[in-house]
Amino acid sequence: MHVFFILMMTFVWSSPPKLKPFGYINIEVPEPSDIAVNPLKENSYFVVSDDGYLFEMSGEGKITRKADFYGNDCEGVHADSNYVYVVEEFTRKIRVFDIHTFALERTLVFPYSGGRNKGYESLTYNPVRKVFVMLTEKDPIYLLELDDDLRLINEHYLEGIAGDISAATFYDNHIWLLSDEDMHVIKLNPQTYKEVGRWYIPVINPEGICFDNGQMLIVSDDMERLYRFPIPQ
Amino acid sequence: MRHIYCQSIFGLFCNVGKSPSPKFFVIFLFGWLLFSSSTFAQLSLNDGRHVMEISGGVSSYFNYRVLKPDALNQNRNKDRFRLRDAQIQIEGRIGNLYEYELQVDFVDLASFATGEIDPENPGLMDAYVRYKGLGFMDIQFGYGKLNYSRSSMVPFTQTPYWQRAQIVRGDIFSRRDVGLTLMKNLWRQRINMSAGVYTGLGEITLRGDNDASGGLEYVGRVDVAYPSRFRYRDIDTRITPIPMFALGVNARYAEKNLPEGGRFPTFSTGEYGLKVINGERYVYGLDAAFQYMGFSAQFEIHQLLARPQLENDPLFRGLPVEIHEGFVRAGGYFGQVNYFSKKFKTILSGRFEELNLTDLEQGASQRLSIAVAYQIRGFDSMIKFQYFSILSEETLVDPLRWTEQFRIGWQLNFR
Repeated sequence: MHVFFILMMTFVWSSPPKLKPFGYINIEVPEPSDIAVNPLKENSYFVVSDDGYLFEMSGEGKITRKADFYGNDCEGVHADSNYVYVVEEFTRKIRVFDIHTFALERTLVFPYSGGRNKGYESLTYNPVRKVFVMLTEKDPIYLLELDDDLRLINEHYLEGIAGDISAATFYDNHIWLLSDEDMHVIKLNPQTYKEVGRWYIPVINPEGICFDNGQMLIVSDDMERLYRFPIPQ
Repeated sequence: MRHIYCQSIFGLFCNVGKSPSPKFFVIFLFGWLLFSSSTFAQLSLNDGRHVMEISGGVSSYFNYRVLKPDALNQNRNKDRFRLRDAQIQIEGRIGNLYEYELQVDFVDLASFATGEIDPENPGLMDAYVRYKGLGFMDIQFGYGKLNYSRSSMVPFTQTPYWQRAQIVRGDIFSRRDVGLTLMKNLWRQRINMSAGVYTGLGEITLRGDNDASGGLEYVGRVDVAYPSRFRYRDIDTRITPIPMFALGVNARYAEKNLPEGGRFPTFSTGEYGLKVINGERYVYGLDAAFQYMGFSAQFEIHQLLARPQLENDPLFRGLPVEIHEGFVRAGGYFGQVNYFSKKFKTILSGRFEELNLTDLEQGASQRLSIAVAYQIRGFDSMIKFQYFSILSEETLVDPLRWTEQFRIGWQLNFR
């Protein structure tokens, strides 16, 4: 009887609204772990791989460019009009590539003694506070702020926000986080980092998020797919 | 059945003879609760190329057994606290070429003095290096878990149970050994293949004794998952939105013919004399797993074929060759169903298992287990309760003193 009650309540109790994807495509990038919009080219994205590679990928999932670089467990990517920034989780490094040539220009180390698979997973830029934002994956989830020269200037502890954070991006004046374990997209106030919205996405192992052409794009690591969703309202 | 169950639960809290008092039991659990509410985290050291991570765990439970009325020594091994694990694990990676792991359980190291090694809890759990520089496959050498049996490969801390199914506990076939393993995955990690060669002595090889037969053991495994890679886990904690399946087949072979007067190292043949035999030994098995929306299920079956070289081998149980025909079969299976409620942080699980230790005697043993686990902080701080019931015994081969067991305790992982 008790078992039945627990099962029923699990289904009945409220959970975040579920988003249904428009569709998906298989992508050529192996084990994709994050995605960022290429600000210089239509229908083009930067994708990093657990294998340690940085790719440029078309909206059809084809690899159009690959950096001459072999890193360690690349987990986060962000791009602006000059550079592509890649986060290596194992080595706690940010690699900065020239967006035109894909040449590695800078390497910065951010020591962190947490679990080797619980390090930095995501990077984006928060124009509201004029800082880069980098998050640890879990146990605990820290949001670090870096200045424009990538110097660490602040730390926020996002207690209880999710089981883990696998990606982050900025869109429509908000920070958007992705949780792989919870399969949640979480919308944050960019000034306070307080949660203002949350949605469930039915995607196995979601590892990357970005917004483009009026859609929310999610990459799945295990499925090696790019899913297209409506923008959560 | 209901009557027996209620009687047993009553006994768990009220049997105060020589067993720990209920008050002590409550204090014990409360203490663990306070301890576990703090934040745990792995620690890592990093020089930019070499990353070393240190983690560990402790688990302990209270065990209540319902003994048969006619069992001898009623107070021996009846009710007890047990420190099951006290582990330290060091994992590392050097660039993209090497990975290594060293894991030690201090509780079980202490038991080394007796010479016996519990295959489910050996003192040394892992000591291997994996080379990833070949590109087309990985090579692992050293001591560690064998890629045989999906259930054996699932980390113990990721299950709601206090004991694995009988067939995969390491009494029928070894779970760890020293040797060389080749590993390869295909189709976006949906297909995993491995093949290896080992001493064949299993966990007892840690004692360093010579194997007079000189024979090795060969182990191979292939598993396929769909629609994505399927990690070696029992519980669907991610509430998988698409049904996922995995199917694995594995086999192992050893020919260990002892010279006249030779013998295997003490304890190497295992509790039932099946782990290492004087002759040829084949083991083959199949496993399947499923998960969807918090529900998950596993099924696993193994068969052992032994061809002892001596006609008077104890495995023949003194029977004439006309009956045993030069071989003995053993084996078993289990099925397990699980449900994870993320809202209630609770795992419910049931397992049915059957084990036949020899086909030269009538009967097989059957067990039913129920497990409930409450996650205070995921698997890293979890209260686990397991109930076992013996449905039938293989009385002539493996008589038991008990009919039911209850285990309740805590596991804490510093990860």
